[in-house]
Amino acid sequence: MTSAITLNDYLIVSGLLFALGIAGVIIRRNALVIYMALEMNLNAANLALIAFSKFNKLVEGQILVFFVIAIAAAEVAVGLAIIVALYRRKQTISVDQLTTMRL
Amino acid sequence: MYDILFWFFSIAMLVCGLLVIANRNPVASALFLVLLFVFLAGLFVLLEAFFIAAIQVLVYAGAIMVLFLFVIMLLDIKASERRKFRALGVVGGIAVAVAFVWELVIILTRPLKPLATGGDELSGGLEQVVKPLFANYMLPFEVTALLLLVAMIGVVLLSKRELK
Amino acid sequence: MTPVPYFDVLKGLGAEVILTLTALVALTLDLASVRRAEMSVRSRTIGTTAVVGLLASTLPLWQQLNGPRMVLLGGTLAMDDLIIFFKLVIVALAVITVLISMDFDVGRHVGEYYAVLLFGAVGMMLLISAEELITIFVALELTSVSLYILTAFHKGELRSQEAAVKYFMFGAISSAFLLFGLSYVFGVTGATGLQAIQDAVKNTGGLAMSPLLATGLLFTIVGFGFKVAVVPFHLWAPDAYEGAPTPVTAYIATGSKVASFFILLKVLFIGFAGLQGSAFWGNFASGWTMLLAVTATLSMILGNCAAIVQHNVKRLLAYSSIAQAGYIFIGLVAATKMGANSVLFYIIVYALANLGAFGVVAALSSRAGGDEMQNFDGMARRAPFLSLLMLIFVLSLAGIPPLGGFFGKFYLFASAVQRDAQHFGLLWLVILGIVMSAVSLYYYLILLKHIYVIDGSDQSPIITPTYLNVALGLVALAVVALGVYPKPILELLNNFSYSVIAGLVR
Repeated sequence: MTSAITLNDYLIVSGLLFALGIAGVIIRRNALVIYMALEMNLNAANLALIAFSKFNKLVEGQILVFFVIAIAAAEVAVGLAIIVALYRRKQTISVDQLTTMRL
Repeated sequence: MYDILFWFFSIAMLVCGLLVIANRNPVASALFLVLLFVFLAGLFVLLEAFFIAAIQVLVYAGAIMVLFLFVIMLLDIKASERRKFRALGVVGGIAVAVAFVWELVIILTRPLKPLATGGDELSGGLEQVVKPLFANYMLPFEVTALLLLVAMIGVVLLSKRELK
Repeated sequence: MTPVPYFDVLKGLGAEVILTLTALVALTLDLASVRRAEMSVRSRTIGTTAVVGLLASTLPLWQQLNGPRMVLLGGTLAMDDLIIFFKLVIVALAVITVLISMDFDVGRHVGEYYAVLLFGAVGMMLLISAEELITIFVALELTSVSLYILTAFHKGELRSQEAAVKYFMFGAISSAFLLFGLSYVFGVTGATGLQAIQDAVKNTGGLAMSPLLATGLLFTIVGFGFKVAVVPFHLWAPDAYEGAPTPVTAYIATGSKVASFFILLKVLFIGFAGLQGSAFWGNFASGWTMLLAVTATLSMILGNCAAIVQHNVKRLLAYSSIAQAGYIFIGLVAATKMGANSVLFYIIVYALANLGAFGVVAALSSRAGGDEMQNFDGMARRAPFLSLLMLIFVLSLAGIPPLGGFFGKFYLFASAVQRDAQHFGLLWLVILGIVMSAVSLYYYLILLKHIYVIDGSDQSPIITPTYLNVALGLVALAVVALGVYPKPILELLNNFSYSVIAGLVR
């Protein structure tokens, strides 16, 4: 299959997604939305990996993505449980109000 | 056709990404994130990573985002999110993102040559991805199982209400 | 396709298998038999089980010692004497952490606590034996997720929950950066094994030829920078250290640090062996030594200066360990065999002294009513033995002779001076390190002043259990021994570290 789409195009899309994720992490104050933005970062890396995998004809990239998806599932579960536990104690999930410890 | 699909999926995905971080309502953010995952799976299909595309939809869009939505419902945080964004955070975030994109433009203007690995074209099917999991990548596969067990213990423990 | 050496892999993983089984036993034992017993009995029973399991896990390790270097499954599991030695170090740190925890109120879920702690140790050990990017990532995540859970273990305390959220958020950011960096490295080199990456890097023509590789290197270092908490990626550390239950803080500050530094050393010295660039004064060249030199400078300055104004002992130790990470980076910047040896030596000394200090804080703060500085007023009279141990640990961290910290720091600085000895290219970094060590003495002495000079309102003596005194005493003995007679360990490391530096020797 011939196509004008190159590895560069995929990497640019992946890089833009990563930039959006970072912007989201910095801009947003809601712990849940920050975590969603972090998932976008992980997916940007996944896209780069799959693109490299395809254009370099190496299957390792896809295998790493497989592991990342499995790990992300575990990490999300733990992270959300931590956020819920915080909400139970504090009734907020805004990261601006995590100020018990200072200096 | 391939090119049109690539541009459609890419642009749609990036727009969804923008809406995830720009939306005030976390429920809307989560739903746009689901859409983003689906479009990303589309890109994976274009890259002929069919198995990964399938688990992307199943695990990410299916399982992980349902968890997010459950937690949003559970906490009922709509009210607390109505406040404005901080100006400093917005400016800083956009500045970092722009700097990153600028760097990216510099790096990626020169066309990359694929490595001459001499391998065959990937089929992206189940067999090709899964076989190494029982050979060279056996160890991380087992460790992932351990990780899921740890996560399970942790989640039960953390979200359980303490009895007095 | 060559057959998979399943049996060799199982033999190589003996210690990890035993630890996993112990964790499962601890879980079921707690659920099945001692759930109705008193808390102290439960904690003792499960803790003892964990200690026995940890000690049993050293048996396969002793057997593997002095064996040939083996790399199984394309690098997912490597075995040589250096790796086995560091696995033993992790086991020792975990044993002490368990003993500290047995004396500490970790809440009602004792079985889960020790099980997750052991799973964390498994993650660290796998991280140490990994020489392949996928395994490194998975093992790093196992370690991190275990530590997130442990940090949140004080469910009643708001501090613990906040610390867990911050630790988790920054941990997730670091994973994202690391993964993005690794994806570029994989894309440019087409390899995931560290040795294969080293070979491929030589063909790319260096960083100038491949900006993609430079970006991958940068992001990888940022990802690891979060894990080892160096400035400017340190923001999570003070809060996580202060808020987490103190034995968990000890574990984060020692076990996970040792594993992270070890794998960072391997990734840089093996994988990126051709890309070190130069951090010599007036002769900078882009590469990882320059990046590390900058972060080392920032960490030493900011960590030491911020520590001066702290009122909380755990927070003070957190900033001090940020500064210590800066010193350790000096050895990495040297990028020689001596640098590698000095880093390996120093992380052992640092981990022992820090573990001891946090152990004393854990034992005393739970009885003195808090971990603020004032709570430690007059502690020398209330708990003379533990105060003496604290003196040893803190002075070792400050680098006072004849303790291990002094010799370790001296060795780090010497390795940096020796590198490019004609032009003293790294002397600027060493001078900064020495000046900042002098600054650090100030806040360490403030802490000791609270313990030894200021009189507290409460004069009642504090009694701590014997096993804890013995364990911490042994740690202190090791710290002193490493300073007075470091030769055996140094020779050991010198003989072992050939596998790490092979790529740098030209």
